[in-house]
Amino acid sequence: MRSVTSRAVLGIVAVVLTGAPLAVALQPARFGGALVVATSSDPGTLNGGITTASPAHTVADSIYNGLVQLDAQLKPTPDLAERWTIAPDGRAYTFTLARDVRWHDGQPFTASDVKFTYEQVLLKYHARTRGGLESVLESVDAPTPTTVIFRFKRPFGAFLQRADVTEAPILPKHLYEGTDILQNPHNATPVGTGPFKFKEWTRGSQVVLVKNETYFKKGLPVLDQVIFRVLPQASLSMVALERGEVDYLDTLPPADVPRMRASKAFTILPTLAGPGGSFCINTGVFNLTHPPLDNLKVRQAIYYAINREFMVLAVLGGLGRVATAPVSAGVRWAHNASLPPYPHDVARANALLDEAGFGRGAGGVRFRLTYIAATPQIHSAEVIRDNLRDVGIDVNVVPLEFTAAQERTFVRKDFDLAFVSYCNGPDPDIGVKRMYVSSNIQPVLFSNGASYRNPRVDELFDLAAGSLDLAVRGKHYREIQEIVWRDLPYFWLVETFRDVGFNHDLRDPQYWAGNIAERAYWVKPR
Amino acid sequence: MSLLTYSVRRVVVAVPMLLSVAVLTFVLVHIAPGDPAYYLAGDGGTPAYYALIRQKFGLDRPLPEQLARYLWTVAHGDFGRSLQQGQPVLSLIITRVPATLLLVGSAFVVSAVVGVAIGALVAPRANGFADRAVLGTTALGSALPVFWTGLLLALLFSLRLGWFPVQGMMSSRGSPAGWARAVDVLHHLILPMTALAVQPLAAFSRLMRLKMLEALAEPFILTARAKGLPNARVMLQAARNAVLPVVTVIGGHAGALVTGAVLTETVFAWPGLGRLALDATLTRDYPVVMGVVVIASVGTVIINLVTDLAYAAVDPRITYA
Repeated sequence: MRSVTSRAVLGIVAVVLTGAPLAVALQPARFGGALVVATSSDPGTLNGGITTASPAHTVADSIYNGLVQLDAQLKPTPDLAERWTIAPDGRAYTFTLARDVRWHDGQPFTASDVKFTYEQVLLKYHARTRGGLESVLESVDAPTPTTVIFRFKRPFGAFLQRADVTEAPILPKHLYEGTDILQNPHNATPVGTGPFKFKEWTRGSQVVLVKNETYFKKGLPVLDQVIFRVLPQASLSMVALERGEVDYLDTLPPADVPRMRASKAFTILPTLAGPGGSFCINTGVFNLTHPPLDNLKVRQAIYYAINREFMVLAVLGGLGRVATAPVSAGVRWAHNASLPPYPHDVARANALLDEAGFGRGAGGVRFRLTYIAATPQIHSAEVIRDNLRDVGIDVNVVPLEFTAAQERTFVRKDFDLAFVSYCNGPDPDIGVKRMYVSSNIQPVLFSNGASYRNPRVDELFDLAAGSLDLAVRGKHYREIQEIVWRDLPYFWLVETFRDVGFNHDLRDPQYWAGNIAERAYWVKPR
Repeated sequence: MSLLTYSVRRVVVAVPMLLSVAVLTFVLVHIAPGDPAYYLAGDGGTPAYYALIRQKFGLDRPLPEQLARYLWTVAHGDFGRSLQQGQPVLSLIITRVPATLLLVGSAFVVSAVVGVAIGALVAPRANGFADRAVLGTTALGSALPVFWTGLLLALLFSLRLGWFPVQGMMSSRGSPAGWARAVDVLHHLILPMTALAVQPLAAFSRLMRLKMLEALAEPFILTARAKGLPNARVMLQAARNAVLPVVTVIGGHAGALVTGAVLTETVFAWPGLGRLALDATLTRDYPVVMGVVVIASVGTVIINLVTDLAYAAVDPRITYA
């Protein structure tokens, strides 16, 4: 589970990363059959409305719908809502829902399901939706069976990106009303409106979904079955893919990618979306409350001391690129491309540390720092330790299991430096704002870990969220980046990619979205 | 002392031991870093939200109170509900037991039978080619950790040769019934079972070889030969004496096999108890971790008891005092 689990994302894919066109050949025939998708752990629950954990959403997002769906360019497109209007003052969103939508048990879907889901489920139990909306959302009204109106306390420009199936799956009111939502039996036997219906769940082994024959989107889905197979071991997942035991892996181990590319049997697409988040940046967190990290020159020296090109090549196997701004280059409208670089410059780092008054002591050591890193990121942390040793900073790397590392960083704040993968998500209001605004200095995972405070930055984030004009929002986000790039509460290391791999005969999996199989089909009978 | 009295006494002695295991495990899993609320609810929430989740699942109560509540419910046969899955722990465990029993049981039988047979067969021609080959191979076999053996077997027999599936207990496509289903499970079983059996098999065969060599040097073997008994009968006689300490060691390995099963089940995505325990540990699903440990401890106590009883069956000289 990484920071922003929004599966929405980036189909920039091949075009941006490799320069090659997507080149999916036109195929006249579309076949159904079964698609076997590998997932790294058992979903735990099949109710995506009560958790943001990615194993649950990997499966549940094919059973439910959101009001909107995000396309490969992150643009909201119709899902349960066939169209919407936004009030000129940005304080009301009116959705017109698709007609003739039915729940998998045959009951009609109406606007009251949406109102109920938001009020009784998402705003209570979906961590991100509750965290992002509870302070700004005023009311949800369902004046007709096909109309839902969301009213906000102030103009709110980042709502649609929060309304897809990952951030806000719509649940059936008739099965959840008046029950203990967290213990409802339908959390294990879900009834949705989505393209696939729940068939069976063999815990620890697989979840089988079957085609929803009465899906409200004409001609979809094509596949007859989607089977989510639990495969905890990444390297053997590759063997399973190569043997055809599974058809789809959403993250290929980097070491296996060159071999897989040589085979014509698989389609491999690099993407900035991760299984647990999108537009992720491996980020170093400075604990600004711990001297000497409250000294800007020390922070600048540390940033200059790190060889990020080496990190991309040696640790990530090329699956990443050096971060050049606090917002990912993938979020093009918000990314600031004109910030001065922080190249690897040991001499400059040493000079800055000398200027800051931290001369070398015994053994050439200037001072010592504790560096918290989760075990998957330990090799990057080791590179940083070696780089910092070169400038006289002695780093003690503390490797911890993933959530233990996040807890020590964000809840206990017991660190000098920490290594965190912050995912920007489809909108900076979701995944970027939380890192910088002073109101988010709180004991919560993936919050403002640096304890950074800057009133102008707080103000700019509010201005950006309050505008509906992307150009205006982009301008505010670029100004924010100029400020934080100067203040350096974090050091942004590498924008990480992943490679998704699937059987060459499979077409149109929406690998950037929660609902990967809605449009997918086979080009040969299976 | 009768067999029954002996067994009852062993069970009574086991109670405080099981209680200690439960308390120790409870304390260990709770002091390990990692808050179950984050695994349950995911990231991005407010402190108030996580506090609500903790309160809903009783995780906000003081540790001694949580421990007392837990022991009280377990004493009444209720292992609680999984935090992650919302299901009763006992039913989660029961659904996983057959897969683990099949894996561990088959690995246990294969390693014991084949290990003892190999040891018995090579011992009479000690230092011969077969003996040296077995010594070399088993030295390697005992040194290889199970996850490594598993990966090597998978690469060779699944990826290169394509003989066996690499994951799961049954094919995901189609749902065979009857014999076809049994064959499908067996097909999936071979690699994980072999991976799990390699280490104990190596240990058993080396021990059996050693004990067999000792037995063959005993005066009663000389007497048997002098009396003109056929070689096969002599070997059987020696083997019967040699196998006694080996049975004890085999029984002692049951616990190690269960430990190995955790790794094997993870490597081969075998949906058994070990995987359940590992997943539960990684997501801080305390009731499931506790349930698996307590039930596995009960299982180990039973297996050890059965081993001791089997000891008597093999050697009539043994009595229970």
